[in-house]
Amino acid sequence: MTLNPVDQAVISQALLSAAREMGIKLYRSAYSPIVRDGKDASTGILDAEGNAVAQSDELIPMLVGSLSITFRSCAALYPVHTLKEGDFYICNHPYHGAHHLQDILIFVPIFHDGAIVGFSAAVAHHLDVGGGAPGLNSSATDFYQEGLVIPPSKYNLTTDWNDEGPLRRFIGANIRVPEQTLGDIDSQFAACAVGAARVTEMCDKYSASTVREAMAEMIAYTERRVRAAIAAIPDGTYTAEDAVDDDGLTDKPLPVRVTLTVKGDDLHVDFAGTAPQVKTHMNAPFASTVSAVLACVKAVLTGGDVPFNEGASRAVTISAPKGSLLNPNPPAPVRARMEASFRAYDVVLKALGQANPDHAVAPGYDCTTGFCLSHLKDGRYRVFIELRDGGYGASPRNDGCDAVAGPLSNCTNTPVEQIDADYDFFRIEAYALRPGSGGAGQHRGGLGSVRAYRILEEGVRLAIYADRFRIPAPGMAGGGPGAVGSCIIHRGNETIAVRSKDDVALRKGDLILLSSGGGGGYGDPALRDAADAARDRQLGLLAAD
Amino acid sequence: MKVGVEIGGTFTDLVCIDETGVRLTKVPSTPREPDRGVFDAIAAAGIPLDGMADLAHGSTVATNAVLERKGSRLALLTTEGFRDVLQLRRQDREQLFDIFYRKPDPLVPRYDTLEVPERTVSDGGIARDLDMAVFGPVLARFLDEGQHGAVAICLLNSFANPAHERAIADWLAEHRPGLPVTCSVDVTREFREYERTSTATLAAYVQPVLDAYLRRIEARLAEGGFAGRFSMMQSNGGRVPAAAIRRNAVTALLSGPAAGVTGAIRQAALSGHRDIITLDIGGTSADVCLVQDGRPELTREARVDTLPVLMPMVDITTIGAGGGSLVWVDDGGLLRVGPRSAGADPGPACYGRGGTQPTLTDAHVICGRLPSDAKLAGALPLDAGAARKAYEPLAAELGMSVETLADSAIQIAVANIVSAIRLVSTSRGRDPRDYALVPFGGAGPLHAAAVAEALAIDTVVVPPNAGVISAYGLLAADYSLYDSLTRRTALDVGAPEAVRATLEEMLSGLHRRADAISLGADRHPEAVLEMRYVGQAFEIPVPLDLGGLATLTTEALLDAFAAEHRRIYRLGAVGQVRPVEIVSYRVGLHVPHGTVPSLAEIAGPPLTVPETAATIFDGGRDRPARRMARAAIGADPVAGPLALQDLTAMVYVPEGWTAATDPSGNLILRRGA
Repeated sequence: MTLNPVDQAVISQALLSAAREMGIKLYRSAYSPIVRDGKDASTGILDAEGNAVAQSDELIPMLVGSLSITFRSCAALYPVHTLKEGDFYICNHPYHGAHHLQDILIFVPIFHDGAIVGFSAAVAHHLDVGGGAPGLNSSATDFYQEGLVIPPSKYNLTTDWNDEGPLRRFIGANIRVPEQTLGDIDSQFAACAVGAARVTEMCDKYSASTVREAMAEMIAYTERRVRAAIAAIPDGTYTAEDAVDDDGLTDKPLPVRVTLTVKGDDLHVDFAGTAPQVKTHMNAPFASTVSAVLACVKAVLTGGDVPFNEGASRAVTISAPKGSLLNPNPPAPVRARMEASFRAYDVVLKALGQANPDHAVAPGYDCTTGFCLSHLKDGRYRVFIELRDGGYGASPRNDGCDAVAGPLSNCTNTPVEQIDADYDFFRIEAYALRPGSGGAGQHRGGLGSVRAYRILEEGVRLAIYADRFRIPAPGMAGGGPGAVGSCIIHRGNETIAVRSKDDVALRKGDLILLSSGGGGGYGDPALRDAADAARDRQLGLLAAD
Repeated sequence: MKVGVEIGGTFTDLVCIDETGVRLTKVPSTPREPDRGVFDAIAAAGIPLDGMADLAHGSTVATNAVLERKGSRLALLTTEGFRDVLQLRRQDREQLFDIFYRKPDPLVPRYDTLEVPERTVSDGGIARDLDMAVFGPVLARFLDEGQHGAVAICLLNSFANPAHERAIADWLAEHRPGLPVTCSVDVTREFREYERTSTATLAAYVQPVLDAYLRRIEARLAEGGFAGRFSMMQSNGGRVPAAAIRRNAVTALLSGPAAGVTGAIRQAALSGHRDIITLDIGGTSADVCLVQDGRPELTREARVDTLPVLMPMVDITTIGAGGGSLVWVDDGGLLRVGPRSAGADPGPACYGRGGTQPTLTDAHVICGRLPSDAKLAGALPLDAGAARKAYEPLAAELGMSVETLADSAIQIAVANIVSAIRLVSTSRGRDPRDYALVPFGGAGPLHAAAVAEALAIDTVVVPPNAGVISAYGLLAADYSLYDSLTRRTALDVGAPEAVRATLEEMLSGLHRRADAISLGADRHPEAVLEMRYVGQAFEIPVPLDLGGLATLTTEALLDAFAAEHRRIYRLGAVGQVRPVEIVSYRVGLHVPHGTVPSLAEIAGPPLTVPETAATIFDGGRDRPARRMARAAIGADPVAGPLALQDLTAMVYVPEGWTAATDPSGNLILRRGA
């Protein structure tokens, strides 16, 4: 028997609301600014078999649709039917569904009358999980050097975690800032408790079987809506290509290639032809590739209105060659997986634009630009990490947006006044738009920005991973490419160019100029509206002549 | 005689209180000349201008100036290197999955921003001196070229040391006398430069508009011999004399919804309820606010047209679920209500103004909760036939009866509102069950019992004449002044002395401001410390009992912080030894001015309608119900289902709930009684 429409609508709404409430609980109580300000976290409700049903849609797109992959790794080892109240799954293993070791996933079973009706899940990006360097170890040659590995595991909250339980102490002993990381894991448990409470209330009101039925229908609903959107674009094969600058060791570009096959209401995304995996941490584990593709499909085809869950993964199948940049074999390091993920996003964006010209958008700067300054003083590490912006690509409708977080993330910048108060070993001296950095076109690409950091102490180290320092965001339909990014150290009269993946010892007095690049332009620049050009000139947004 | 005039989008409401009781007047708003609407309402009520002792006013004029970008050309002065602070914002975007995303235009374009060669650091030290002899001529040239109508100054870390902002303001006072200048430290002294710059520019932008508006009103009042007090509503739920709001115009932004919450707080307090959730359901949206011990929760993250405002504002969450919300089925087959709305024009189908799409109000008519002959607030009779007709195509498509579909739509709208209240409660660390629900607005009392039921709230307090509660709120509001300051204080042995010194300095500043505008001596100060564990990325507000300030200890501060932390996060990171710090201080000063009677004491006879039997479709079946005037409900609880009517709203009391009128005139709905 199918549920009546009102119960379905009300339970669906309540499940989505529970996932959002979990997200609020998690990020409001997090220590890590990456969770609190960057919303680099995700929460959701899964059904009793571990299929994602509802996921918080206010946190970052990068974690769309990958919860179930980790769940299956855990459930394969510790079957669901063996779980007791208080048990939980935990995992941060990038070869078992996590994106990188910084992302710790937790799944808590929800019991009703002694039976499991579903799971609440929370994943958060942690500030430090140990490993070879504080914050960011850009010289890692395998993932063991990137932090503590938590394989797919089952533990119990009462015996292993609470009251200084052994798992808590074990994790705490392996990381540099245990208060923050353990506090953030506590917040994940708190979020899961909220989700479990809401699902239990629903079961009390409607019965567990009704709730389970509504969960199944919610997955089917998302599948229908995604399929309807796919069916609306013409059948065919669409290909696109872009590249990651390099692996940080050589200057060789790493191509990312995609072939989209649309057939009726099926979409298959294949990354055959993509570069092989690399020795450095630029590899994207398959879960990241899946999220990047689904986030792009959601942005271009369905918009924010369709709540993504397991149903989207049924309509969109994804493959990438084993051993490639987008599906590496262990133990390849993966910490900086965002750059390859962004390129995967960009090629899907370009290919979908061919299939669906109304929604064609040129790729943007689309890099994470992880920038880290660290200082060891009096036996204590001070670590500053921030993720930068870039220009968006232009479209047939309008210019690209200037200087915003990449489309897979939504990190805020750190206020200069907060940095002034928290860090005494450097100071921000400027933060400005980069005029002229957007790709030319009938509609121009969005601008990048530049931020200037003055180093105030000896013994400061810079670690960076970025991209598009050599290969710019391409234009579309006759539009020009955006400007590339750069990182330059001014030391007295000397200027030192920092590579996009690098690790540099700094000196007191150094001034670092970190520039993000622009988005690609759309259409022939000769067709640009005179009023748009005049406005840019008046605002001082064109390159200095 | 005390008079409150609230300008809304469609109607201007007036509430008048004198010895004879409370009187209500409603006139159409005059959006082109909003000040005229004020005097239209006063004239319509037959009130002589020289007869008013107190005129309290709420207006959207400040908000509209921002929404319509009607202010004068503004110059912004920033620290050198940070000219693009308003363009860069916080780098994040409002819509996550919008490939065509654009940032909203800032209030000040790039070419109207000038960089100041200076740098102040976080402890107030000066890393780079400002030399006005050098900068003055540059500034003069810039202002000559731009012919700006006002100047906003926001320099880095000015809250720690305002010397450079002051030096520029002094220079301008001397060299450009008469040019309005706003220093960020006079608006807010909190850190985070984008938000403070945004707030300072909003203040500078709105101030001349509000000033001109108030001047026009004051001139007409003076002509009419008005000798009373003229005050304006603020977004924090309190009011201030008009003279004071001119100096801090930003507090007038978004004051309309705050007045409604203030009115609801006062009216609910008459029944002894001080912990309440207000639910205002109008034509297009539902507004929700949590009220703790008679004071609304205030937010620091308010936005006007997406521009942040660092001002304490009544923390109202808006959801797209109002009487005009459309009922539809999406392309995945899911039944939805809102957020799209039929708006005021054409409005719901039952209004008979050409609307053909099914709305929530139509659902209430179909289900018999809103009788078609109810003439709410002077509106036309409702067309039940048109309502049914609007629902028929969708009902046929879904294979269900019109009644079942309408009933389903109401349940889904209730679920949407319930979700919003849950999210608001969780993000504030509150449990809705600890609150009474106070509905108002045209449709609030129709949904309140169902919303309460879903949240396990057992008491609903329905104010009388709930349709004009905003104007009533103007008169019920205290005078309120606020101040805030970012000043990091470690919780070590020196903390009590540092806290005392800072709070005394801030409170004496508020008292001086109160003295300057001749507020009364019955003053109620309050203080909140924004605290966190060192290293945590954000602060939590910890209320401080000022009575214990003299004997404050470090332990007491730590205990207060731990208690709030535990309340909000339960499991989150509690019980470990970790340094704690105060980041910011907030103080408020509230000055009440006499009591106001209950809204129930309306002069003139209450609405009478004969009691009739009715059939109300609810929860999938017909239920025999009674329809009567709200005034017919006395002190003895009457069991639902009931459809109750007063002058401005319908109240629906479902099965399983009872209704009784208490001595203050509030209708109290209880569950399972």
